[in-house]
Amino acid sequence: MKKRSQRAVQAVGLFTASAMLLSGCAGFGGGSAEDEGSLTFTAWGSEAEEAEFRDLISQFEAENEGVSVKLNLVPYDQMFSNIDAQLSAGNAPDVFRVDYGNLGVYSSQGQLLDLSDAFSADEIAEFTPAMWEAVSFEGTPYGVPHQTDVSALLVNTKMLADAGIDTASLPQTQEDAWSWEEFGDVATQLRASLPENQYPFVYNWQLAGAARWLSWLFQADGTFTDGSKATIDSAEGERALEFTKSFFDQGWVPPASSTKGTVYADSLFTEGTAAMTFAGSFLVPDIDYLTKFDWTALPMPRDERGATDLGGNALVASKDSNNPELAAEFLKFMVSEEAMAQFCAATNELPTRTALSGDAIEFAVRPDIMPVFVDQAATIEPSDVKQLTSPVMAAVNTALQDQLEAAFVGGQSTTETLANLSAAIEEAAN
Amino acid sequence: MGRTSLRSREGLAGWLFITPNLILLALFLFVPIVWAAILSFQSTKGFGTPEWVGLANYSQLMADPVFWRSLGNTAIFTLATVPFELIGGLALAVLLNSVLPARGLFRTIIVLPMVISGVASGMVAVLLFYESNGLVNKVLTAIGLDPVGWQSEGGPAMMSVVIAAIWLRLGFNMIIYLAGLQGISPELYEAAKIDGASRWQQFRAITVPLVGPSTFFLLIMNVIASFQVFDIIFVMTGGGPQDSTSVLVTYAYRNGFQIREQGYGAAIGIVILLITLAFTFIQWKSNRNRDLVE
Repeated sequence: MKKRSQRAVQAVGLFTASAMLLSGCAGFGGGSAEDEGSLTFTAWGSEAEEAEFRDLISQFEAENEGVSVKLNLVPYDQMFSNIDAQLSAGNAPDVFRVDYGNLGVYSSQGQLLDLSDAFSADEIAEFTPAMWEAVSFEGTPYGVPHQTDVSALLVNTKMLADAGIDTASLPQTQEDAWSWEEFGDVATQLRASLPENQYPFVYNWQLAGAARWLSWLFQADGTFTDGSKATIDSAEGERALEFTKSFFDQGWVPPASSTKGTVYADSLFTEGTAAMTFAGSFLVPDIDYLTKFDWTALPMPRDERGATDLGGNALVASKDSNNPELAAEFLKFMVSEEAMAQFCAATNELPTRTALSGDAIEFAVRPDIMPVFVDQAATIEPSDVKQLTSPVMAAVNTALQDQLEAAFVGGQSTTETLANLSAAIEEAAN
Repeated sequence: MGRTSLRSREGLAGWLFITPNLILLALFLFVPIVWAAILSFQSTKGFGTPEWVGLANYSQLMADPVFWRSLGNTAIFTLATVPFELIGGLALAVLLNSVLPARGLFRTIIVLPMVISGVASGMVAVLLFYESNGLVNKVLTAIGLDPVGWQSEGGPAMMSVVIAAIWLRLGFNMIIYLAGLQGISPELYEAAKIDGASRWQQFRAITVPLVGPSTFFLLIMNVIASFQVFDIIFVMTGGGPQDSTSVLVTYAYRNGFQIREQGYGAAIGIVILLITLAFTFIQWKSNRNRDLVE
């Protein structure tokens, strides 16, 4: 009998240990903190971003006695499948990082904390209007615009000079940015001088970056949705698609650099396969480290107007957070002027506060070229942001990947491509 | 102790031994399968309130050209990989079962890809088949041939993932065949030699039939692995260019986790399950060698 009860105790012990182990596993990558005064914060980040997150968290903890913020860093590739699973299981982190394209999915599904009470009208006015629009859904803020990041055109100056292009007179501001035609002329000149296995430029629409094609649509003064209907099938849409298709037809870009390419554009630039690349400012430190040649940044080409992609990320709180007030307070701290200036300076990312625009931030790497990105960020209009952060964006991104690839390298006609994109946008909206 | 009581005690012991496995199988296999089946009748993004849509996801599948293309690609991938994996695995096993010098080293080299994750192997394959600057195209150019569009043309892209998959799986097949070969009695070969059989005749009349159970096992394993291929294609081509390497699992992943149509993704998953079960059932029923032992 004694032996039997000993066994029973062992069995119960084993079961309890297993249950504890499994419950520990269930919290993988997050889980709402249950302690009063503690938060869980899930994000991805480069080395520089991680260091700044940790430093700012320490500052927040020092300013708020008894508060602790647990940072959980995950690879970007796993970030949103983890968050989706955690939201579905009801154990999402209190605070998490999200890109503007994914934010619309979460806010429209009622997964995020409404921050209306946390910011006064005056405080909202301190942010760039387009960026505040980016974190809002139907007028309600569901996050804070932590930083932004836009693409500009990086050029290998030697390759341009070798092709006979005067590198002393390259455009530096939005006023003297190349038109599409001038950009095409430069590409033609480069194509004529480069060997067959090198290319004039590469565009950064690979690996979930297909939405960056929309910069061309916006430059042509086009739109892709008015909120309920698709508006991409237009003269502007046709012009943008025809021009970007010509990149492949003219041999201006590597054939494997289409929207379903598996190699990032900046890799083709740093290895010398492409003379120019479109890239976000967050890549400047990496490119600076990897390249052995001279390069500089130019504004994106313009058509009817200037435009670029809405990169960067917001910080949001889960609506089921156990400490919603503290979560809101932490978000406010992370986008305070001092915290934002510190984060952006160290990571070469752009601020979302108007007081920090221009040359208010001393960037850590290549401060000489950062004004081009700062200038470029001003080309994003609130109407672009409204479309780019709409709940349909995740589906639009996938449709762009498929349809643009079919148009660029599959010979699909412009008419069919625009019609298919229209259908996909409307299906996602309904 | 009566015979019945002994038998029931043995039965109880058997159940006790198998219970932990059954619990784990139920928790991590059967429950997720049932869950996926339920999900396939819903329209859901994974969070928020799901909507019950009945067979809508399945009828959408029937009319989806990318699904049919992915199914076709899965079949092509299976047909292109499995025979080479079986023949190659057996050939290597026979070679490395003989008195080959440094055979331990060769076995290690062939088995090495098995211990590396599929994603890491895929990254290595990307470096090899990288179109603008990869090793394979550099070698082709060096010997005077034109570089191949491994990443921009459908046919070569499929060929690159097939080659990488064969490279990855040969080691596993070789190990299973090696085990099978070592179970064959040397006396059989000696008797054949006395009867004047050539090496090829010995291979055909002794080796091939007697590794039948291994072949049956490997055929099923390789076909299932081919139908479930994901990591290597995801890393190497992402299903492109233009869906030319899109297979059922990459398409399910795309719908479930990238577009967040989890119900539709689950419906594709259930189709993969049904095809795999049907194939295994047919093989089981039709293969007479499966229980053949020497």
